[in-house]
Amino acid sequence: MTMPPKDLQPELALLARMKQGDEDAFVELYRRHKDAVYRLALLYSGSTAHAADATQETFVFFMTRSNQYDPLRGTLAAWLCGVARNIARKLVGGKEDATDPESLADDTALHDSHVDRDTPLDRVLRAEAAEQVRLALTSLAPHYRDILILCELSELSYAEAAQVAGINIGTVRSRLSRARVELAQRLAPYETGAKEAV
Amino acid sequence: MNPDESKLEPGQETLLDLRLDELKRGLAGHGAPAAMESALVARFRETRPAASRPRFWWMPPIALAATIAVTSWMIRGPVPRSQDLLALAPPTSTLEGDPGPFLALQPLDRIAAEPGKRVVATEFPRALLADWGLPVSPDRAGEPVRAEMLYSADGEPLAVRILN
Repeated sequence: MTMPPKDLQPELALLARMKQGDEDAFVELYRRHKDAVYRLALLYSGSTAHAADATQETFVFFMTRSNQYDPLRGTLAAWLCGVARNIARKLVGGKEDATDPESLADDTALHDSHVDRDTPLDRVLRAEAAEQVRLALTSLAPHYRDILILCELSELSYAEAAQVAGINIGTVRSRLSRARVELAQRLAPYETGAKEAV
Repeated sequence: MNPDESKLEPGQETLLDLRLDELKRGLAGHGAPAAMESALVARFRETRPAASRPRFWWMPPIALAATIAVTSWMIRGPVPRSQDLLALAPPTSTLEGDPGPFLALQPLDRIAAEPGKRVVATEFPRALLADWGLPVSPDRAGEPVRAEMLYSADGEPLAVRILN
């Protein structure tokens, strides 16, 4: 998933124009970020309908609350990812408490209650291999899936992911490491099946 | 993989990266629905005009219009006087187009009240302009000046306009 360049100036200029009511500036910013936002929402929601709703709500939020974006705290792409993440999680009734630092201070115990069973499991991606990974991702505890989506699939920096998830960078690193282990374990049966097929 | 280990081996890391790349490729074919843009632009049009228009948006245009009006009045103010003067003067057939305003040599009230005024085309030394308070270059003081004089019925010069 390709994110916009890190050079903020052109985007900030567009943002300033958009705030003054420039429709072309809004369209330009929308076109730059719409697909990244949609894909992120798709990963969180597991549904194309929810992803479309989340994308639309994200950009409505953007056009009405763009003053909440602070360029000093990160890129517009990361901010939009954060907005889309929150909206998508609300749409599917995600377990917000799963990322509570208090309850997950250790991160070693993966309680069954943390596993999100509300996310739709309909087939989303046409490619079989891609769909296997997506479903394996869906089966992870939300706080692990969260970091994998932000860091690996939306290509946010650790700092941006920390900002979006409301945790510190050290926690991002440790969760990402554990999330990768968990995901590899979920995918192991598919790897075995593939080997046997060969 | 040993379930007790909390880290992946290098081969497993590579394999996982490949699987994540597959997911990225699968996602690459997906994007926001095309119809969404027009819906959002319509929403933007609804929300932006009210949000972006300042409370006193009408003040700058009004101030600009007032400034233009006042400036225009200040610049064009003396012209009516000259036009009045021209209206007082009978037309002359020797002139082509508008040669410009007359300069009053007598009080306007008196010129306006003067009966039997007439305009006479004449030439006189440029140095004479200095007598009427007009600037004259010493280098050209000896050159003749073409002018029209507005005279009273008894031959007193009331106003003058320079033609060149």
